[in-house]
Amino acid sequence: MIGLVLVSHSRALAEAAVELAGQMVAGDDGPRTRIAAGLDDGSLGTDAAAVADAVADADSGDGVLVLLDLGSAVLSAEMALELVDPDVAARTRLTAAPVVEGLVAATVAASVGGDLAAVAREAEQGLLAKREHLSPDGAPDAEPADGSSDDGPASADARTEVEVTAPHGLHARPAALLVRTLAGHDARVRVRNLTSGRGPVDGSSLSAVATLDARRGHRLELTASGPDAARVLEAVDDLAQHQFGDRPPPPTTPPTARGSGLDVAIGPAVVVDTSVDVSDYRAGDPDAEQQRLDGALRAATDQIGALAETADQSATAAILDAHRALLADPALLEPTRAAITSGSSAPEAWTATADEVHRRFAELPDAYQRARADDVREVRDRVLAALVGRPGTEAPRPDAGGILVVGTLDAARAAGLDPSSVGGVVTRRGGTTGHGVLIAQARGIPLLADVGDVAIHDGDLLAFDARTHRLLVRPDDDQRAELEQLIEARRHEREQAEAAAGDPVVLGDGSAVHVVANVGAATDANGLRESGADGIGLVRTEVLFADLPELPSVEQQTAAFLDLAGAVDGPVTIRTWDVGADKPLPFLAIAPEDNPFLGARGLRVFRTGPEPLVQQLQAVCRAAREAPVRVMFPMVSRPDEVDWALARLAEAGDREGGVPPGLAVGAMVEVPAAALRVAEVARRLSFVSIGTNDLTQYVMAAGRGNEAVQDLLDPADPAVLRLVALVCDEVGPGVDVAVCGDAASRPEVAARLVALGVRELSVSPPAIPLVKAALRGQ
Amino acid sequence: MATLDDVVAWLRDLAGTMKEHAAELTELDSAIGDADHGTNMARGTAAVAALLDESYDDAAALLKKAGMTLVSTVGGASGPLYGTFFLRMAGPLAGKEQIEAADLGAALRAGVEGIQQRGKAEAGDKTMYDAWAPALEAYDEAVSGGQDVGGSLRAAAEAAAEGRDGTEPLVARKGRASYLGDRSAGHLDPGAASTTLLLESAARTLG
Repeated sequence: MIGLVLVSHSRALAEAAVELAGQMVAGDDGPRTRIAAGLDDGSLGTDAAAVADAVADADSGDGVLVLLDLGSAVLSAEMALELVDPDVAARTRLTAAPVVEGLVAATVAASVGGDLAAVAREAEQGLLAKREHLSPDGAPDAEPADGSSDDGPASADARTEVEVTAPHGLHARPAALLVRTLAGHDARVRVRNLTSGRGPVDGSSLSAVATLDARRGHRLELTASGPDAARVLEAVDDLAQHQFGDRPPPPTTPPTARGSGLDVAIGPAVVVDTSVDVSDYRAGDPDAEQQRLDGALRAATDQIGALAETADQSATAAILDAHRALLADPALLEPTRAAITSGSSAPEAWTATADEVHRRFAELPDAYQRARADDVREVRDRVLAALVGRPGTEAPRPDAGGILVVGTLDAARAAGLDPSSVGGVVTRRGGTTGHGVLIAQARGIPLLADVGDVAIHDGDLLAFDARTHRLLVRPDDDQRAELEQLIEARRHEREQAEAAAGDPVVLGDGSAVHVVANVGAATDANGLRESGADGIGLVRTEVLFADLPELPSVEQQTAAFLDLAGAVDGPVTIRTWDVGADKPLPFLAIAPEDNPFLGARGLRVFRTGPEPLVQQLQAVCRAAREAPVRVMFPMVSRPDEVDWALARLAEAGDREGGVPPGLAVGAMVEVPAAALRVAEVARRLSFVSIGTNDLTQYVMAAGRGNEAVQDLLDPADPAVLRLVALVCDEVGPGVDVAVCGDAASRPEVAARLVALGVRELSVSPPAIPLVKAALRGQ
Repeated sequence: MATLDDVVAWLRDLAGTMKEHAAELTELDSAIGDADHGTNMARGTAAVAALLDESYDDAAALLKKAGMTLVSTVGGASGPLYGTFFLRMAGPLAGKEQIEAADLGAALRAGVEGIQQRGKAEAGDKTMYDAWAPALEAYDEAVSGGQDVGGSLRAAAEAAAEGRDGTEPLVARKGRASYLGDRSAGHLDPGAASTTLLLESAARTLG
């Protein structure tokens, strides 16, 4: 939770303000709030060293917001940031928010799990309600926001009552969704908590809605006036029926426009230089520069908004949302404005700040968080382009069949490409796992990554085959004909594969191979039936619930599992929480480790506190009564760990009236030790699933994410395949062997795995038709 | 040339100076601020004087300690400002047993840059920077003209006094005085006054 520090000249003032804010939250739910106020001898004043101590004390690792009164409080707080640990300083923000109103709003926002940006935003908006209320010209909200308003049904055009169905009440996320829903309509909505008697409040204010203390089961009354009054309340009813968005959305949106997915392309190069030339920029005085910055930020926000409108996948929209959030992030804006005030030009100030933030992200240990650095760079360039008057960083749209050549492919550009028109994309660097690359691939756009500084000029004819990583610049007629044939062959292959995707794979000996899907986000399950999935072979629960602020309830998890079961006609394999210091979750924090891949990870995490695991197993038990749900445990090394996990399952069963009799239970085989002793590991199990990604890194002693040893990370290395063969040979009768690593998604490797005895392949959804086709060809 | 002992003497003199002028500074501050500048500076520099009996490796170590002490004991905006001044001054002097005029110039410049960075004040905002800016310039000019530490500091103190007097007609744009708007004109800035006292004290002791 974000910690708060109040810096004031007066200790009495600070203590009273903290007491006032404390009334907004129940019991111990409030944030850690520390005071740095007055001098030791009781006189008025501020002390930078005391502020530094208070910041360090308030920090729980999530960040600290510092509110301050005036004069030396500001100077002392700024100085304090130079005195604390730089890591703590990096996640500490000083806010210009009003002390009393800001502290109240920040306390509420922090207690509902808001992040630093959200808490700071709420604090800064602390004056809004009062300002509107007192505005002389009768602004829309010039009426009391407390219970004294008589703005009841009489003056409203429509009224509804809903129950708070969100499992944890209207905490930040569902409250934000409610506010956003209301904001999309031309109506004024007031919300009252009938159960607690709080309100009515203005439904357009997140801080105000948060004050309703709407817990699960409370009843809310919403009254609306204005042209959209009836419609907005219908939208709220709908929201209430969907737990205010506090569960993964049901998989309904099928993917729309898709590229060829052939991994091969021929076409004229469209070379894009993403760097922005600011050498002709003429700086004005600081005021003018601030205005230009504001204009550029607005332009960039508008551009991203337009891209988000047309984004055809929710993952893309989420990344664009992140870009929009960066454009309003005080961590970028405040230092930029300060530098402009001290005389820097807007481009200088913006670039310096963005580069600094980029550097901070790029140094983070977690690969996912590191990828945020790309987002910062993309936003930096977009704003710079707007500052120099360029309409955007979008590529000149390649004509039909053109091949875009970029240094790195950013997410926004990848989202802006028309997959039915662009021939392909070539990147010079940036690797194969950046946001932009993943988006392009998910949209079926042929993409060749990391070609380096090959000389390519605008208009050059290019041809590439991504599967063999082969690039031809200005190919001769023979080469061109060869690639065209390849395209034809791939297209034919794909059409055949898709036409037959729904059919089962039966080998020559009559045995069936199930090709099932790996699923992380709920949206991964979209269109699984059409792609021919025989089930879901891996549900990454730590990804499925990754964006929740707290541990999902048993009900929430059960519902999510059943939603997934509804998306396929076969079994759904739930993998229990697979977290570790390399992939922590907000609600399952793991202390940083020197060597997270060899540390407390997967099942090991719960040895000291099994409750989250047991609760997840309860959800598995519940879901398994209604759907063919299976469960498997990650990161097992020894047989006794399976015994321990089964005891936890029994414990969950006791709470749920017994473990459902047909529940299939398995374990991941990703540690070489488990592969070598698979007969013992699996003696009480009905299946094992080989995680080839981790197995390969442990067998080859080559870390995932370490570019220097990527060449060793080959899941088709004989050593890895020999262990797979060993598992198939020795696992014992009646125990099925599956593979759920990325290797299974590669058609040529999939065939070899099946030859070794694997009978279930869990692959990325777009690969299902091709894997099935490759297996039939055996 | 100055030594650690000279710096000790300066800080002791500074405490006495601030005590002596406390009422005067507070009176200036009562006109346009919160009437505590004299008390604050006397309290802070007295706390610094209490450090002087301990031993230090060099002047830089002492100045750092003095800076942190001011930060924690002054209370008003001058705490972080003068605190930063002494902390930053320490940088260029680290490891120097003999402080030449040019060394002290570099230290003063670093200190004043710290003040400006911290307070974000510009010339003409009616702040201590209006005394510091001409003082620095005069100091550097005196050093180029061949003056020693004492002579350069005297030139700086004179320039600071002129700068201080120049704040009288100004309208404050920073600090508590800025709340008064036009009413802040017609009074000397207390920060510029204490800066002048600080430099006069230095000229007496470091020469």
